[in-house]
Amino acid sequence: MFEFARYDARKRVRGSVYLSIGMSLLAAFAVWAYPSYSEAMDMNQLRDAFPEPMIRAFNIETMASLEGFLSVELYMFGWIILLGLYLAYSAASIVADDIDRGRMDTLLSMPVSRQRLATERFAALGVPILLVNVVTPVVVLVSARLIGESLSAADVVALHLLSVPYLFACAGIGLLASVTFDRASIAQRVALGVTFALYLVESLLRGTEYESVGALAPMRYFDPNAVLLDGTYDLAGAAVLVGMTAVLLFASQAWFVHRDI
Amino acid sequence: MGAIELDGLTKDYGEVLAAEDLTFSVETGEIFGYLGPNGAGKTTTIRMLLGFIRPTAGTARVLGNDIRDQKALIDAKRRIGHLSDDQAFDEQATGAEILDLHAAVKGDDRREELLEMFEPPLDRRVREYSSGNVQKLGLVTAFMHDPDLVILDEPTGGLDPLIKHQFAEFLRAERDRGVTVFLSSHILSEVRRLCDRVGIIRDGRLVTVDPIESFLTRSGKVVRINSADPIPIAFVDLEGVHDLETSVPDDETADPETEFTECTFTFTGDINALLARLPDHEMVDVSIEEAPLEDVFLRFYGGGEDV
Repeated sequence: MFEFARYDARKRVRGSVYLSIGMSLLAAFAVWAYPSYSEAMDMNQLRDAFPEPMIRAFNIETMASLEGFLSVELYMFGWIILLGLYLAYSAASIVADDIDRGRMDTLLSMPVSRQRLATERFAALGVPILLVNVVTPVVVLVSARLIGESLSAADVVALHLLSVPYLFACAGIGLLASVTFDRASIAQRVALGVTFALYLVESLLRGTEYESVGALAPMRYFDPNAVLLDGTYDLAGAAVLVGMTAVLLFASQAWFVHRDI
Repeated sequence: MGAIELDGLTKDYGEVLAAEDLTFSVETGEIFGYLGPNGAGKTTTIRMLLGFIRPTAGTARVLGNDIRDQKALIDAKRRIGHLSDDQAFDEQATGAEILDLHAAVKGDDRREELLEMFEPPLDRRVREYSSGNVQKLGLVTAFMHDPDLVILDEPTGGLDPLIKHQFAEFLRAERDRGVTVFLSSHILSEVRRLCDRVGIIRDGRLVTVDPIESFLTRSGKVVRINSADPIPIAFVDLEGVHDLETSVPDDETADPETEFTECTFTFTGDINALLARLPDHEMVDVSIEEAPLEDVFLRFYGGGEDV
């Protein structure tokens, strides 16, 4: 068991290291930039200066504290958008790329079920998800200490833990696209498009009469502001994300098993 | 019980009927050639047998397992080796990493022995492989777990002649150990070197299943004769002569209506009867070759009609 997960996990280590370095640099830059911003201007004015759609899109509550600033600059942008899209994109090639390049017949000529193949390779996305969430919080906390700001280590760690089911849910969207389309490039585009559309739906329809549509979006169940500003951990939201991931995984398996390749 | 038994196996894509009501069996311990032109439905058949695509009607049993029973078929794959017609591996991995993955999933009792024979460059990444090396790596993965049945789709494409020869020897030795081989090809000479029986498929339909000897007899030879002096055309008025074409050079005095110095025809009769007549004339050149597969199809199974 787990031969395919191990194989894929090994293949993902190098990319995950680069990803973690990239996100850590983004984190360090955000922390480093905060003091010069906050000294140069009134951060409440800065927030108000953003156009309303942007405040809505980035869910900007405050920028007048390092927590609020990081929540927008690092977590809304870096985690919810960038990493969410990255995971959806990566997962989109799990099945489609092998079919596209004629490798799926070779894989399935081995005694392995399609369910197991898809699940193990999906699980291997845990490597980038976990590594980036282990390295970055350390960088955030150390950088904050270096500029003399205090951050709640518990909140930062909790935020990163809560982002794990969020990122798996985004990967689930990619996996579903991956079993649906034979061409990796199409699966990837669809995964990116759907994930970004869900993000827009959730952020732009919030507070309108269509708000309920956003219930489908993983972004609804992961709120960096709540964790960093209020210290509240939305465990129910995390559970919804786990459920969402499971549904996407089962749907992908069912379709993959059913279809011709 | 045959190693593979097809029972009305059909794949209908709507706009094209890729395989139609295929019924035949491959006996345990034989090398069965599945012969047909490109696009005839060979790969479709194989991909149904391995569960990659579902039949729209009929079924098949592979090592006794119904191919519609996914779980049983997956278990059976521990005893099946497969080489696809478009073999591809993870380009980023080295050959050794690929083999390690296959070994972990299905075993590798014969890995070393096979590597001595086929020698793909294991330390290099697959993206640097030539098509021949990909094929060699594929042959190792197909046989490394010592399967009872191997299903090979156009196995010798990309192999150089020396390796092809080695591969043929190897396959015959496997057959003698009791391994069943089902191999598809569009090359007649390849099939005749290797196979005990052949099944012919054309336009998705099975045309015939024959022992290789009777198939070769029926398919005939292409004979070319070039004589020093004109020969009466009656010379080649023999049973089994088809598609006769005769000619005389312009500078000859011979009558092209009744004589020839050069002729070609396909011959399905007794080759000895023909050879016995040759010494009566002074020959410049005589060649007897296997008929091209396409000609065989056209002549004997022309128009896609069942025989």
